[in-house]
Amino acid sequence: MPDSIEFNRLEINRKRSLPVRDFYYQFKDELSLTIKTPESSLCTEIIEANLHRPGLALAGFTGVYSYQRVQIIGTTEWSYLESVGAEKRREIFARLQDYRSPLWVLTHNAGLHEELLQMCLTQNVPIITTSRETLDFCTEVQDILEDWFAPYCSVHASLVDVYGVGMLYVGESGVGKSECVLDLVERGHRLVADDIVHLIRKGHSIIGKGNKILGHHMEIRGIGIVDVGKLFGIRAIRNTKKVEVVVELQKWRDGENYERTGLDPLTTDVIGVPVSKVIIPISPGKNITVISEVIAMNMLLKMNGIDAAKLFNEKLIETMKNKSRLNSLTRLSTEVYE
Amino acid sequence: MVTIELTVINDSGIHARPAALIVETATKFKSNVIFIKDGMRANAKSIMNIMLLAAEPGAVIKVETEGPDEAEALAAIESLFLSRFKYE
Repeated sequence: MPDSIEFNRLEINRKRSLPVRDFYYQFKDELSLTIKTPESSLCTEIIEANLHRPGLALAGFTGVYSYQRVQIIGTTEWSYLESVGAEKRREIFARLQDYRSPLWVLTHNAGLHEELLQMCLTQNVPIITTSRETLDFCTEVQDILEDWFAPYCSVHASLVDVYGVGMLYVGESGVGKSECVLDLVERGHRLVADDIVHLIRKGHSIIGKGNKILGHHMEIRGIGIVDVGKLFGIRAIRNTKKVEVVVELQKWRDGENYERTGLDPLTTDVIGVPVSKVIIPISPGKNITVISEVIAMNMLLKMNGIDAAKLFNEKLIETMKNKSRLNSLTRLSTEVYE
Repeated sequence: MVTIELTVINDSGIHARPAALIVETATKFKSNVIFIKDGMRANAKSIMNIMLLAAEPGAVIKVETEGPDEAEALAAIESLFLSRFKYE
């Protein structure tokens, strides 16, 4: 089947670095961060989503040391540094002097050791403390960094939450994506983005969101630009949604074979993640909105382990099996009586 | 109008997959394609019609085609039956 939108041909981008300055100011309050080094030290950049607990490096093993990651001093590391005394600490940080990390973080607002501070001042690397617990802090920061470094791309499509199922509408311009979306919103479903959708791969999921400038505005041919949030209210919009089905709207083509049974569902590759795909042929008088709702509900059924097409076919096969058994029985009985 | 009698020779009868193939084949032609089994008439261009015949293995189906390309349509359906609906 022709694939008019090929996600694998899209340009997939990845951010290379996150300036620590941006990170600090954006999450200062949320993560209750305090900077312990001069403001000018916020000049480094985070280049990896992973965090590192430098326990082994502090203990003396630097053979494998992920110094390029954000270094987290949790209770374990801090207690070790505290226990070894000032002399040993000076020795430890003198050895780590050659490894420049982008950022050092002390959790539990632990007291900063003078030796670490001295090393970071010489390297011009920031030290931040947080009142959060180590695990709590790491989980949250890991999430933030993974989002930041996740592969992303933009597609010419519309994303709507239909009964909680994220449906991404693709198709040529003028095929009726926006009209379909508007109809869905009118029926109580929620618009995420129209026309341009930013897709981010997070783990094994694709998350879609709209453009900041565009917001929940839509262009409707014949009317112009409308604001869906203002027109339909807060219930009509949402900001992000996992993409669960790609719906391709296609002008009806004679001779094209469209899915008839639903036994062999299509999938499409979106930034390396397989996503269910449905092709809907469009012809005059066809109500795509109702079909969209059915796709969403059928998807929900499948997620709950009910595959209607499969069950129907199994029932049919079973019926036929019984029939042929019955046939052979009657054949046998007539033979006996004859 | 031309007709032929065909026997279902695959293992599990005409279930959803063979039915989809029949519909795919039938819709390629302009002619009407009708399956008749036990007095029930089914339009071969409708998947539900075909499935509801519940044609078990060994069942005999009378196929009727009528239209400008009736002979070709009949031949195509026949070879589909003989191929055991490709899948099996």
